[in-house]
Amino acid sequence: MSSTAKNPSIIRRSLRRTIFFIIAILAIGSTFEPYNQAQLAVVLIYFIGVLSVTILTGISGQISLGQGALMAVGGYSTALLMTNYSVSLWIAVPASIVGAGIAGALLGIAAARLSGPYLAGTTLVIALAIPTIANRFMSVFKGDEGLPVDVGYPPSWFTNLFGEPSYEEWQLYVALPFAAIALFFASNLLLSRTGRMWKSIRDHETAAALAGVNYSRQKIYVFIIASIFAGLAGALYGLRGLVGPSVYPVALSLTLLTAAVLGGIRSIFGAFIGTVIVVFLPDWIDLVLDNFELSEQVSNFMPALISSLLLILTVVINPAGVAGGHHHKHK
Amino acid sequence: MDTFLAALFSGTSRGAIYALVALGLVIVWRGAGVVNFAQMGQAMFSTYIASTLIQNGNSYWVGFFVALFAGAALGAFLDILVMRPLSNKKKTELLSSESMRAAIPVIASLGILGVLQALAGIIWAAEERGFPAPAAQEGFTVAGSVMPFTSFDVFVISIVLITLTMTTIFFKKTGVGLAMRATALNQEVARLSGIRTNFTRTLSWAISGAASSLAGLLITPTSNLSPNTLDLVLIIGFTAAVVGGLDSPAGAVLGGFIVGLVISFVTFYLSPEDVFISILAVLLIVLIVKPRGILGGKDSRRV
Amino acid sequence: MLKIENLTTSFGSVIALDGVSMVAQESKITTVIGANGAGKSTLLRTISGLESPASGSITWEGQSIIDRKPEDIVRAGIAHVPEGHAVISELSVEENINMGSLFRRRINKSDVAASLDEMYQLFPRLQERRKQLAGTLSGGERQMLAISRALVSRPKLLLLDEPSLGLAPLVVEQIIDCVNTLCRSTGLTVLLVEQNANTALGVADHGILLALGKVVADRPAAELKADSTLRAAYLGY
Ligand SMILES: Nc1ncnc2c1ncn2[C@@H]1O[C@H](COP(=O)(O)OP(=O)(O)O)[C@@H](O)[C@H]1O
Ligand SMILES: [Mg+2]
Repeated sequence: MSSTAKNPSIIRRSLRRTIFFIIAILAIGSTFEPYNQAQLAVVLIYFIGVLSVTILTGISGQISLGQGALMAVGGYSTALLMTNYSVSLWIAVPASIVGAGIAGALLGIAAARLSGPYLAGTTLVIALAIPTIANRFMSVFKGDEGLPVDVGYPPSWFTNLFGEPSYEEWQLYVALPFAAIALFFASNLLLSRTGRMWKSIRDHETAAALAGVNYSRQKIYVFIIASIFAGLAGALYGLRGLVGPSVYPVALSLTLLTAAVLGGIRSIFGAFIGTVIVVFLPDWIDLVLDNFELSEQVSNFMPALISSLLLILTVVINPAGVAGGHHHKHK
Repeated sequence: MDTFLAALFSGTSRGAIYALVALGLVIVWRGAGVVNFAQMGQAMFSTYIASTLIQNGNSYWVGFFVALFAGAALGAFLDILVMRPLSNKKKTELLSSESMRAAIPVIASLGILGVLQALAGIIWAAEERGFPAPAAQEGFTVAGSVMPFTSFDVFVISIVLITLTMTTIFFKKTGVGLAMRATALNQEVARLSGIRTNFTRTLSWAISGAASSLAGLLITPTSNLSPNTLDLVLIIGFTAAVVGGLDSPAGAVLGGFIVGLVISFVTFYLSPEDVFISILAVLLIVLIVKPRGILGGKDSRRV
Repeated sequence: MLKIENLTTSFGSVIALDGVSMVAQESKITTVIGANGAGKSTLLRTISGLESPASGSITWEGQSIIDRKPEDIVRAGIAHVPEGHAVISELSVEENINMGSLFRRRINKSDVAASLDEMYQLFPRLQERRKQLAGTLSGGERQMLAISRALVSRPKLLLLDEPSLGLAPLVVEQIIDCVNTLCRSTGLTVLLVEQNANTALGVADHGILLALGKVVADRPAAELKADSTLRAAYLGY
């Protein structure tokens, strides 16, 4: 994996993307009112989670429905550090990815033996089973009630420099550096030799094995990396107010997968587009539905219906997603 | 001793239903190469249809048979509308790798699940409703004491056993059954033999749809009916299928009973909260010790 | 008669068949020979509908069969025995044979039983093993089974892809003899693909030499067999 760091042109390219990303988010975010700033923060958080799906499914071809459970690991680690040890979030969040990485390694060891639907089903069972641990160890994880945590207030140097942000705006500013780092790493990874090797495993398992790639070990590496992304997303997701079983339902894993597929499962750009679609879709649908007199029952289920339909249409019509043509550039 | 008997009986009756769910999964997996995560969404949908019919004054049996038929029709419809276009798609770059070809139908089936659940929510509201049982759900009384076994349990077990026998005979003894097995085992040779594999695949979806609808009808009287109630049943059915062997219909049935008993004993002797962890444990143990399942073959598909 | 004109089939950037034209005359054995990778299997697979060609035409009994599905091409009377004793190992011998006549079942049920008996007369070894799983058969028996599966569809044209592959010379001879007899006695048209050029040319009426997806020779079999320069250039002996 060290080859990543040695290639300056790849790093420069990733850095350019990341800086562009930061500037774009700041520019767009500053024009938003608080509600949409909070939504944009969710986009950034989901984006990190969707990148984990892009790496796992798009790049290495493994399908996991358990990314939500890994997010929960990240969330609980952060919350426990913050509430029990009063650690600042800037330390707790990075520390929590260690927990997620370990969980990912364990999952990867199990997953290295599995493929396709076996892996999907097993990770789905894991996604369901993990949150029940919260109730099993009541005293630590506080059961269904969960652990309340939030992003707190900006430090004084920040307010001195930039003025007092709204709470929503601060959520955005907390998520942004992590999303930027995640983007930088994902971009490096995809462009690097390691990324290309993972793609070759995905495309030609047998050929890759013949070429001397240790298939199982690489699978575990992929899982660890993807879990770190998921854990980071989960930690930030919990900081929106609560870490509890209801925050990380199975549906969360499916949302990430939907976003990754809609946007284009093989590209970072696609991951971002898909995330934007998934996060803002309910709002857009509301905008449209406001013109009709629909019962609450209908409008409640409309976003789920539309996004699921979009998911089906994408895989049937254009499995490469919105950013379909885009991924050629990465080659 | 009473607890033991209660756990045993309830596990057997539940296990029979899980066997049906697992069988539905195995039929579509073998017949069409897809693990259908939407399966219990389909069952939920047809159970709602039955429930609506019964609430509108029709007899239980009208609802029952209409639901089976609707389950079969929905299965066939989904295959024709979603899965067939997917599998006949020209090999694009994305679909050229084996792993992506396996992942895409899984994603499609999750999309189907989402659509069915949202539609059920829109049509039938999200609140839970009960679903009637065709037989008494009180325990038999033997020599003054109430046994943990109800007429409904007897009904469930016998109807599942009849279904399993009929399915076996269908696959082993009929020409269409042979065509379906051939398609499942080797699509190319099947096509060269003149078997219309598009048709046999749709038939797999229909049969699986009917079987899982039956499971839905049998399980909802003891739970409740809502767009999401059957999600857990799918997970359990999947575990059962993997435990028995995803490639083996007989294994699916065996796996169903094993998982049913494990869940029941965990519920009675430990706590209902431990059910998922124990399912996960059973699944992982089987995948590590015998990845192809108890009755799964040795060769053919890699796990 | 099977008539192929300018047939091109490619896999991505690999052009496996490059403008192939040929005919298979009725009630004759035509053999297609060529080195490994010449495109022989692709030719048969394109005829039987398993691969779709990029261009060209395939005419069978006066009708184009391009774009038809494999299952319809079988119904039109073309049976394909693919490379490598393609039988279904998990099914019994009898099921493997019956599989080939399933599509005729609704039309004529007694006929199905009759064709099973015919195969047992042709290959008595299969009758002895009728309840066994096909996976337990020897290579030669599997090839017989694959041919039986194809024959019970009552084809007018039989496509055979390297039936001799991996079999003992004695078994090869037996299978080739059998195909020869079938052709001469029932008027079956045969398109036989072989790497084993000597055996194939010995039994065939007409020979076609394929190299890198192109036809390099198209002559009566005896003539082709005698041409040692061609043999040396394309078959390496
Ligand atoms: N499914 C396939 N995908 C990619 N290339 C193929 C495929 N099948 C055959 N080829 C290529 O087409 C060429 C012809 O192969 P084939 O028809 O099997 O030759 P033969 O049967 O004469 O040995 C070879 O170069 C082979 O690599
Ligand atoms: Mg060949």
